[in-house]
Amino acid sequence: MKDLLRIKSLISTEIEVLLNQQVKKEALSSSIYLSMASWCNRNGYDFSSDYFFKQSEEERVHQLKFYKYILDMGGNAISPEVTGIKQEYNSFREVFEEALDQEISVTQSIKNIYARCMKEQDFVTMEFLNWFLKEQREEEYKARRALELFEVIGEEGTGRWQIDKNVGQIKYDSEA
Amino acid sequence: MIATITTTTPWTDVFKTSAGAIYQSDAERCWYVDFAGKVAKFDYRCLLKLRKSVYHIDIEQALLNTTKDPDVEIIFICACDHCYVLSLLQIIALKELLEGTFVMLELNHILHERLCSIAS
Repeated sequence: MKDLLRIKSLISTEIEVLLNQQVKKEALSSSIYLSMASWCNRNGYDFSSDYFFKQSEEERVHQLKFYKYILDMGGNAISPEVTGIKQEYNSFREVFEEALDQEISVTQSIKNIYARCMKEQDFVTMEFLNWFLKEQREEEYKARRALELFEVIGEEGTGRWQIDKNVGQIKYDSEA
Repeated sequence: MIATITTTTPWTDVFKTSAGAIYQSDAERCWYVDFAGKVAKFDYRCLLKLRKSVYHIDIEQALLNTTKDPDVEIIFICACDHCYVLSLLQIIALKELLEGTFVMLELNHILHERLCSIAS
C-alpha cells in the first residue's frame, strides 16, 4: 500500500497545526506592533512610531514565510483571525516592555516547533526554522536594547525625547 | 445507496469495523469510505476534512443534551461531493473507523520510512 499521506504532504499533521499557530502568532505580533506605532505617533514619539511600523512589516513578512512554507510542503495554510488587539498603553515604557514580552513569546513558540521537529526527525522544517531562530536573536536584541535606553538615559526632563530619538537608531549587525 | 462497486483497480483494506470500512486505491490515490449504506470516494484533502469535522463533534455534550431535538448530525464537507446525516451512534462508529484508519496510515508511513532507511 502506497504511503499516500507522505506523497501529498512533506510535513506531518502535527507540524502543520503548529506552523499554522505560528502564522497566527506572527499576524498577532504584526497587529500589536501596528497598534504600538499608532500609540507612539499619537503621543508624539515619532521615531518610535516609525520603528514599530517597520517591526509590524517584518512580522508580516515572517507570517507569509510560514504561510508559503506550509503551502509549498503540501499542507493547508489557514488565514488567521486576529482580534483583541490592545490599543491603549499607560506609558511610553510599557509599550517597549510589551514589545519585548511579545518577542520572547515568539522565540519560545519557534523553539517548541523545533523541539517537535526534532522528535519527528523533520529535518526539512528544522532547516527552514533556522532562519527564524537567527532572526529572533535580532528581534530580542532590539527590544531589549530599547528598554535599556530607559535605564541609561532616564525618563526625567527631556529623557523620553532622547529615548525616542535613539530608538530609531537601534541596529543589530552581529555576524556571529 | 450503491449496491455494487465496479472497479478495475485493486483496493487495499486500511481499516474495518463492524460498522464500515475504509479502502485505499493506490492507482487513484484516494480512499473509499464504506459507511452508512454508501461507498464514497475521498481524496487526501476531503478525507482530512472529514476527519476534522467528525472529531469536532462534541459527543459528550450531545449525549447529555436533554432537549427534544433529534440526535442527528449533518456532516457536510466543503468542496466535497458527499454528505452524511448520522445518528449519535453512527457518529461514534464513524469516529472509531477514522481513528483506526489514521493509525493504520501512520503505521504505513512509519513502515515506508523504515524500509527507505534500510534500502539506502
